[in-house]
Amino acid sequence: MSNQHSTVLFDALGPKGRRKVALYSALSALVVLGALAWAAVTLNGEGFFDQQRWVDALDQLIVENTYIPGLLNTLEAAGIGCVGAVVLGALVGFGRVSRFKAVRFLASVYVQFFRAMPVLLLIWIPFTVLNHLGTDINGLWYVVVGLAVYNGAVLAEILRSGVNALPAGQAAAGHAIGLTHGQVTRLIIFPQAFRNMLPAVLAQLVVLLKDTALGYIVTYPELLKMSYQTAGSYPNSFLQVLLVAATMYFVVAYALSKVVSLIDKRMRRKVARPAKAAAVPVAADVDTGA
Amino acid sequence: MSNEVFQLFAEGFWNTLWMSLASFAVALVLGAILAMMHVSPAPPARWAAQVYTAIFRNTPLLVVLVVFYFGLPKVGVSFEYSWQWALIVLSLYTSAFVGETLRAGINSISLGQAEAARSIGLTFGQSLRHVILPQAFRTVVPPVGTLYTALVKNTALTLILGFQELSAKTEDMINQDKAPVWVVVVGICACYLIINLPTSWFIHRAEKRAAFAR
Repeated sequence: MSNQHSTVLFDALGPKGRRKVALYSALSALVVLGALAWAAVTLNGEGFFDQQRWVDALDQLIVENTYIPGLLNTLEAAGIGCVGAVVLGALVGFGRVSRFKAVRFLASVYVQFFRAMPVLLLIWIPFTVLNHLGTDINGLWYVVVGLAVYNGAVLAEILRSGVNALPAGQAAAGHAIGLTHGQVTRLIIFPQAFRNMLPAVLAQLVVLLKDTALGYIVTYPELLKMSYQTAGSYPNSFLQVLLVAATMYFVVAYALSKVVSLIDKRMRRKVARPAKAAAVPVAADVDTGA
Repeated sequence: MSNEVFQLFAEGFWNTLWMSLASFAVALVLGAILAMMHVSPAPPARWAAQVYTAIFRNTPLLVVLVVFYFGLPKVGVSFEYSWQWALIVLSLYTSAFVGETLRAGINSISLGQAEAARSIGLTFGQSLRHVILPQAFRTVVPPVGTLYTALVKNTALTLILGFQELSAKTEDMINQDKAPVWVVVVGICACYLIINLPTSWFIHRAEKRAAFAR
């Protein structure tokens, strides 16, 4: 949204407009910097920046015993959860676009139900109930099963919309040249739907990774849980330890979502579009690419 | 279902409902401000909005809750009640998503619409009011509705602050044997469905209407 081009909101600016924008830029920079400076001064007053607090929070002992094992546990839960979610999502998703009405109905009940439930509940009700009954299972499985069941529903919906977004002519053309239903699905629909939905699927898997933080609630020792415990034994660096953990989550999720948006851009060019949209491909690409 | 159990469900339901509605209202306001910053011609405003959005979109909500609720009192920021923290964190978190959605809505309008509006002599305010916003509004209603359903579900996380919403009530009921487990499970699922199914139905309708309007 540079000033040299017109956008939806503004025409390209003339000399007067550019001066105005420069003035507003300076003003808004002042407001932002002012807010940051105020926050920094306040935090400094509370000793937030004391060197010792940060040195303690980044102590090798904590790095080796908390951050790294915590992150590994987080990644383990996310990895197993992803596999489960993709398998379930594929099963239910193909059920959603099945030829048989009963299968479609069952799949849609699954999707509607689990998409309306908080993931927390799906992890937590089994945990509370089984604990109450006195059964003891590794916290990892509550996290994995809960995330897989919930994200399976979300992925199924993505798969369905990926298939439905294809122009009907694609399947019709396949049937017209004598392919069976299975062949049409396998050779024509799925490869294109896959490209359509891959970015959305990957984005959802990043969400799944973030949701592993819910392991905190079922005492699965993932990054948040472990950091919180460690923070408890460093009263002076409590906030600092938590912030290091939060930064780790941020870095992982941010890097992954950048990769996803790169893939998104590459995939966009390769899928058949409905005839109407194909007439104005340039406009459509500009809108989403910006 | 005994009267006491019903009471607990009703309390949890009410707390979930008002917390989600209140934080959604705040998030809409903050999100609108963020969206304005996103499309502003002044770069510092855009950068600030982008940093804010990136931070909240890439940090798990639970982590944000833990950092705010347990961490911020260490630097002197504290509130008396857990619902205040719940409201603050949920609205800050959701506003990042609302801002993104609104920005995408404004950008989804084709340039020609705006240029046509300006070329027939509409002022900035007029073209915004009569041409851009009505179209943007229709486009963003379904995704913003989806954000509300997500927020209802996210409200469950505030149980770690001790806020007595639906999920927190369930734990009490199960652990104190106030009702058979199946009653609690069915009841809580029903409560979430009561809030979320009408919302998704409304979103679906709005989607269809938006599709016709073009």
